[in-house]
Amino acid sequence: MDMPLDMDAQTEDAVLLARFARGDASAARTLTLRLVPRAFAQAMRLLGDQAAAEDVAQEAMLRLWRVAPEWRDGEAKVTTWLYRVVANLCMDRLRKRPKAPAALDDVADPADPAPSAEAQLQTQARNDAVRRALADLPERQRLAVVLRHFEGASNPQIAEQLGISTEAVESLTARGKRALAKALKGQVAALGYEG
Amino acid sequence: MTPKRPSDENVDAWLDEALGELGRTPVGAPSDDLMSRVLGDAMSEMPAPGGPAPLRSALRQILQGLGGWPALGGLAAAAATGFIVGLGALGTSADAMAWPFGYDALYQDQSGLDAFGWDFEEG
Repeated sequence: MDMPLDMDAQTEDAVLLARFARGDASAARTLTLRLVPRAFAQAMRLLGDQAAAEDVAQEAMLRLWRVAPEWRDGEAKVTTWLYRVVANLCMDRLRKRPKAPAALDDVADPADPAPSAEAQLQTQARNDAVRRALADLPERQRLAVVLRHFEGASNPQIAEQLGISTEAVESLTARGKRALAKALKGQVAALGYEG
Repeated sequence: MTPKRPSDENVDAWLDEALGELGRTPVGAPSDDLMSRVLGDAMSEMPAPGGPAPLRSALRQILQGLGGWPALGGLAAAAATGFIVGLGALGTSADAMAWPFGYDALYQDQSGLDAFGWDFEEG
């Protein structure tokens, strides 16, 4: 689909959202170009499934369009709001997924010297286990962990996104990782570890 | 080769690696179909051009309910004018000043309901 480049590169998301709420179609195009790739990438990392990630990204953007007329400038960043919506939609889907192990047929044939199918299966199982464990974390712990490890955000950046202190971010991340470790300990067999 | 189970000591490093690997998973770009669907949703949800701007605060909502700053200015001018006219009327009308001091009770005692006040006022 041909879309013009972001002509409003310097315009803040909240300003564009306000313009959309007043019927500005170009603002909708700019926000779509700007936000959909981020929402999709986040959903892909959390779900590992292209079709599901696209559905989540579309649903999150639909919610954004609907909330636009009531958006209160200065209360939250649009990207933070969207990040939370995408994370929550992904976690809802992860919780509903059956806990079936990955099938060998699901793994694409590797090209040499790529990892073997067995190694790919193991990686996939580990990723799924980590995703499920993330889904069971309290929301703020999950967001702190995901922002740190998926987005590479620093503690001050996470603090700004979540509206909390840097010390609180450190505490959230530590508690989140402790909970993840506890949840994953019981799954060593599924993760392909010995000993 | 099957990797070793993470020990309690290195579980933090193991988690960092597992989360980092998940975070580095290549995701590619969203499909054109997704972009079209999102833009289609936007067009169907978009308010009519010139629709209401997003509200900023409770004070602004109240102000907008009253009709904005021009309406508030008009309201203040009307209130001030009414107050000044009221003060002027009190100063020039002895009758009006008398009502608050019980003159109305005397009016009702001395005149029947059907008198219409003429007997009292005409003597």
